[in-house]
Amino acid sequence: MNKFSGIKTKYLKIVPFIGLIPILLLFLNYISINSSNEHFTGFDIVSALLKAMSEDGISLTNSFALAIIIIIPVIILLSSCIALLKPRKYIIYFMIGMYALELIGIVISLLSMKGYIDSSKFLEVKFLIKYLAVGFWGAFVIQLIGIIIAMKSVKVSPGYIILFVMSVIWLFPILNIVLNSFRGEGGFYIGYFWPKSFTFDNYVKVLTDTSRYYYVKWYLNTLMVATCSCIITSFLVLSTSFILSRIRFGGRRPLMNLLLVLGMFPGFMSMIAVYYILKGLGLSQSLISLIMVYSAGAALGYYICKGFFDTIPKALDEAASIDGATKWQVFTKIIMPLSKPIIIFTILTSFMGPWADYIFASIILGDKSQSYTIAIGLYNMLSRDTIEEWYTCFAAGAVLVSLPIAFLFLRLQKYYVEGLSGSVKG
Amino acid sequence: MKKKLIHVGESFTGCMRQYTGGNIFVKLSAILMGIANIRYGQIVKGIGYLCLQIAFITYMVSTGAASLVNLDTLGTHKQEMILNEETKIFDVIQGDNSMRMLLSGVVAMFVIAFFVLVWISSIKSGIQVFHLSRDNKKIPRITDDIVSLFDSNIHRMMLFIPLAGLLVFTVVPLIYMILMAFTNYDVNHQPPGNLFEWIGLNNFKLLLMSKDILAKTFWPVLGWTIVWAFFATFTNYVGGMLLAILINNKGIRFKKVWRTIFVLTIAIPSFVGLLVLRTMLNKAGSINILLQNMGFITKALPFLTNATWARVSVIIVNMWIGIPFTMLITTGILTNIPADLYESAKIDGASAFKTFLRITFPYMFYVTTPYLIHNFISNVNNFNPIYFLTNGGPETLDYFKGAGKTDLLVTWLYKLTSDSKDYSYAAAIGIIIFIISASLSLIIYTRSGAYKDEEGFQ
Repeated sequence: MNKFSGIKTKYLKIVPFIGLIPILLLFLNYISINSSNEHFTGFDIVSALLKAMSEDGISLTNSFALAIIIIIPVIILLSSCIALLKPRKYIIYFMIGMYALELIGIVISLLSMKGYIDSSKFLEVKFLIKYLAVGFWGAFVIQLIGIIIAMKSVKVSPGYIILFVMSVIWLFPILNIVLNSFRGEGGFYIGYFWPKSFTFDNYVKVLTDTSRYYYVKWYLNTLMVATCSCIITSFLVLSTSFILSRIRFGGRRPLMNLLLVLGMFPGFMSMIAVYYILKGLGLSQSLISLIMVYSAGAALGYYICKGFFDTIPKALDEAASIDGATKWQVFTKIIMPLSKPIIIFTILTSFMGPWADYIFASIILGDKSQSYTIAIGLYNMLSRDTIEEWYTCFAAGAVLVSLPIAFLFLRLQKYYVEGLSGSVKG
Repeated sequence: MKKKLIHVGESFTGCMRQYTGGNIFVKLSAILMGIANIRYGQIVKGIGYLCLQIAFITYMVSTGAASLVNLDTLGTHKQEMILNEETKIFDVIQGDNSMRMLLSGVVAMFVIAFFVLVWISSIKSGIQVFHLSRDNKKIPRITDDIVSLFDSNIHRMMLFIPLAGLLVFTVVPLIYMILMAFTNYDVNHQPPGNLFEWIGLNNFKLLLMSKDILAKTFWPVLGWTIVWAFFATFTNYVGGMLLAILINNKGIRFKKVWRTIFVLTIAIPSFVGLLVLRTMLNKAGSINILLQNMGFITKALPFLTNATWARVSVIIVNMWIGIPFTMLITTGILTNIPADLYESAKIDGASAFKTFLRITFPYMFYVTTPYLIHNFISNVNNFNPIYFLTNGGPETLDYFKGAGKTDLLVTWLYKLTSDSKDYSYAAAIGIIIFIISASLSLIIYTRSGAYKDEEGFQ
């Protein structure tokens, strides 16, 4: 052990050498175009940048590129040497910060390099990423290794890097749709990523324009259907699970097996028949029928909930029975109050299901666009002849439909996890 | 099994003995339901039974019997056009509607089955009330019966609505569709214009072992379904577990923040996420634009329009959706792994990787095997990603009309019912999917501890 707590000097000794490599790599080719036999080392690029700065003045992109290529690597090298001589945590944190800056800078420069190089006429031909050569990629990889070792030396988990990269990937589609929902200029085939202007008009349009779509109506429809079927489904699931868990009656086992078997048929195999049955009842194309269809299958979802009830000691029921409680009272007064997590789980899942369902709704509601739910409506907005005009409105609509459910879910996440892991214990 | 049969037989002969031992009212109640109940004072119950019997007889006479007979032929009169001599216009003479006949036949079968149950219960109830009155015991009144629904008979009350819903919206439609698999109800036999009829196992022969284009579609689609289910399950499982382990790592702070970031994809409705990703993977979508602007590519990549690209794309997109799920699930299990295992590994000087390989992974794998198989089954039936991303496309001429290279059996089934109206093939495919899922599920339930040892906690 060394005298500086929390610092592993073993790693610290390597850090300056790793810091040195990117600077050495400047002697290698950063850009090489084999077809026209043009090669530029890192120093060529640095000198070109310096020349451009002296002629045209200092611009943001120039100084940014210069920082990425040489300034930050030099700072990293210096700070790693200081860290070796005077192992202090803050110096190493500073170094890690510099590394992170450098890596993020490299990624940003990858995003913007083409535009910059193409406009600066630095190359004869249009720039492509594949022209980047061994020097550039070498520096990139070495800096990645450098930050990992630097993090290890202060016992910061390198897992942060993976988590950061994954978060970016996971958040990218969400960012994309949010950006599009605020985009001022319409259209779908626009050819760039970042909106040129921001506006609330898409939200206003999707909420007020009823010339073609009835977004607000759909929203209320969905809310109504999801709420009603959530209430009914939750009640049915809880009572079925209670009976199957607590009451021993003739045919219980066969019934449970039957429910499991029924659950194995693909759900919408029977939807055509369901459609005709609803038609026979005179209920097709109505929201009531949708609620009925969503709630009718509730008993099939007993498995998780029953598993939870099974863990509540039976002695409680027996004690209550001795005190004269009926089975119904056992259900309402004893089991229910003890089952808050699973009740919330049931309510949450039975609300989210109808909220996001597309197939059943589209089969049952057919072409009656007044009673569509959000899912069908949004899906239709993306059809080939409307996507160009309605894409940004679709984005706004998608954000609006996701917000309440995301809020609800994040608040009740804990219960959701408990319910889910209950289903796994198996 | 044999024991069970003997048990059933014994209880049956017991019932018979009791029945023959009853008086005239008990015997009469087999023909005139509820008569014994009325005789011994259970007026409401008796009248209820009687009404049910009358309703049943009226139903059978009016439509039920005819429906059953029609079930055999599924209609004989085709719809015809006959020239009306007076008006010189073709009149449509309504023929038989095979589809409606099949449906009403199924309903009639269920009504009869239900009635038989009611009939048996009425006889039993007759015997019971007869015995009670013979032994001079108190005969329960209707109010007592209602009260018992909240106590000793609570299962009847609380299961009634769920099971009734299941019967109407799941069981009857399913039987109807299963029967349809044995008819030739395809696009050429559409009621009301045409009739369809029973053809036995021909649809299965056509799908499974013919030289027809249907078989040439079925086998590749089945193959891709299994490949998809395997990769979708595997990538999500491994990815989600690694992510959970990463976040659970002692060195990682702000665990909740990281988890929330990934959980966001579960929190937004899946159709929104999928539609957004579809537009992003479009030829002119954000991903192609970004790659082009960055100079990675010069031409747009065919993410969803080339067969191989599309197959890889749907699997990757499915990771975006599925990994957070697995992460949430495995997080709970990870914390349950006994800590002393890790401690002894640490004392023995095992590396982090070895600890994962020898402790974490085997433990997780053991606990989550049922989940894994369950996940595989649900991926076989995973409709949403395929439907919203590619709609089964890119379509190909090698396949049956409309089917595409990323179609799973379920999405193909959906297309067969909603687009081309080949219901009989769709039904046959549904049965095949069921056989696949059921045989896999059998593995889970024979392994699963919770199923065997249901009362372990109680």
